[in-house]
Amino acid sequence: MSQFFSGVGVIFALEMRQRVRGLAWYILLGVFVVLIAIVTVLLSLTLSAVSDVDGNQNAGAQIFSTIIYFVLLLGTLVAPALSGNSINGDRDAGTLATTQITLVSTWQIIIGKFLAAWTIALAFLAASVPFLLYATLAGGLAFDTIVVSILVLAFELGVVAAIGVGLSGIINRGLFSIVLTYLVVAALSVGTLITFGLGALASQVEVTHTDSYMIYDDAGNSTGKCEEPSVYTENQPQFDRFWGVLVANPYVLLADAVPTHYDRNGNPTDLFGSIKYGERMSQLPVNTHPVTNECVATPSPLTSGQDPAPRALIDSTTPGWFVGILIHLVLAAAALVGAWARLRTPAGRLTKGSRIA
Amino acid sequence: MNTSQTLVGGIVVDGVARSFGDVHAVRNASLNAAPGTVTALIGPNGSGKTTLMLMLASLLRPDAGTIRIAGFDPITETAQVRAQLGWMPDVLGSWSALTVRTTLELTGRMYRMDKQAAAARASALITLIGLEPLADRPTRVLSRGQKQKLSMARALVHDPAVLLLDEPASGLDPVARIELRQLVRRVAAEGKTVLISSHVLAELDEMADTAVYLNNGVTASAESIALTKTTMRSWRIKSPNGPALAEALVAAGIPAANITADRNELLVPVEGEDAASSLLARLVASGVPISTFAPAVGELEHTFLDLSKADTP
Repeated sequence: MSQFFSGVGVIFALEMRQRVRGLAWYILLGVFVVLIAIVTVLLSLTLSAVSDVDGNQNAGAQIFSTIIYFVLLLGTLVAPALSGNSINGDRDAGTLATTQITLVSTWQIIIGKFLAAWTIALAFLAASVPFLLYATLAGGLAFDTIVVSILVLAFELGVVAAIGVGLSGIINRGLFSIVLTYLVVAALSVGTLITFGLGALASQVEVTHTDSYMIYDDAGNSTGKCEEPSVYTENQPQFDRFWGVLVANPYVLLADAVPTHYDRNGNPTDLFGSIKYGERMSQLPVNTHPVTNECVATPSPLTSGQDPAPRALIDSTTPGWFVGILIHLVLAAAALVGAWARLRTPAGRLTKGSRIA
Repeated sequence: MNTSQTLVGGIVVDGVARSFGDVHAVRNASLNAAPGTVTALIGPNGSGKTTLMLMLASLLRPDAGTIRIAGFDPITETAQVRAQLGWMPDVLGSWSALTVRTTLELTGRMYRMDKQAAAARASALITLIGLEPLADRPTRVLSRGQKQKLSMARALVHDPAVLLLDEPASGLDPVARIELRQLVRRVAAEGKTVLISSHVLAELDEMADTAVYLNNGVTASAESIALTKTTMRSWRIKSPNGPALAEALVAAGIPAANITADRNELLVPVEGEDAASSLLARLVASGVPISTFAPAVGELEHTFLDLSKADTP
């Protein structure tokens, strides 16, 4: 086992030296830091004046969650470019075969390259640490939020790195594997939202409203009598049928996984909680026969058409993040196993036009 | 290397075939390269040399036939083969951002050397191939010839018993070629098996002990090679007295039509080595001054051209 990891270590060291050297890399990291700095400053200016219902400053939680999302966005934009030609790039440079004929095994090559790609992506997370620290100092931030959000973000960067490295082993042309990695990231980040929205729109259901209104006199006082109930129908999208698609979305997954903290009114204190609230709300089935009756003394929130408080809703609905994590794990593993199958030597079948060395 | 390894060592290839779809790159290759010798693998472009090399290097699985590298089967005993095998590919790849030294050190560690051993080996190899001035420069600054040296050093990192060199001399200047030849001879003298593929035959003539001819994916049999020894072959004869030489040749029974002039030399077809020595004896006996008497084409080139001719209908 230790021999396995020492081989992985050699490939890892090789990748880090080969890929991370050079001015371009530091410029990229510098641009990234500048972007995060801008976002942090702007957020601080807008949010610092805002305090919650309890009078607490919780700008820190808002800034922190936004920075994490920003790192996820930029990380998933950069990682495919850095990992998406990790293997076929070596093949083009003529350095893959000379590695394969050593005592380093195919799995050691793939795992070593994956760990290097992941580490490079994590450098972007590391570069954002000063800003995350600043957000922590701004207050209102819970420890579990910090830990879970960073862990999930690191995991997601690993998934993108694995898909990039895997596809670079499966596809011969570096350009194609990079583009395909981007498409996978886009499918997860944007495609899931589109599927969710279009699916819900395509599966509309007829909703029959029954509304009864109080009769008021000319002076505007209640007469205590009710109008005849008016009945009308409309179509509404069924989001609850497609909410499952959202769990594969990295942004939703992140929000869903992070423990939410609330203010006194039961409203989430950070962006994660707000997105989680939206996701969980979509789990509610459409009420096909809503009744509005002003003449009933205290309308319950569920029949009045009002949404329940975020906290009550989040607590009563199903978390889906672990399913999303499982889906992402399967995707990452499939990409890496696919690359392994293509890279095994002595090679049996070769795809057309491919060159082994 | 001990005796038992020597007995099973070297390269033994028997009836190996490999096709890519409907392209039969190697149809039937058999060869035997013994430890301590340099064997040339000769064939025209597209004859299957590199495919055969890749199979020997344990990168490609043969469709049929058996291969033994230092006694091990590349398919079932891949790790043992790789521990014994050094391969210099025809593609000159290098990790462009790494220095020459780091490249060799990391390659050593890929062969499970520890850090100190890999560093020591890297230094020794840098001295051996003469890249000391560039040892700590990134490999991207190397010239083609220097990259070739680095590639050779990389193949030697783990002191392999079997060395496969695919077109090692292409693009080398004359000095570098001589250095390469000396290095190859030295490696063979240490008891290692060396197989060199090339289509530059003149240099192989000087380096190789034996040769294997590959054409259209088939290795030439010993009989067909023996046959080429007796076919007509041009000899280059030079004399300060040209007209006297031509007269003497005709007198020796060579038809005047067969004698061609090439600059101030004459090219004469002769059938085999024995016929050549008797011709020389007659020329000397006739009193014509002779300054050059040599085959116009190298031994390998002659055999190669002859076999190619026999194969193409």
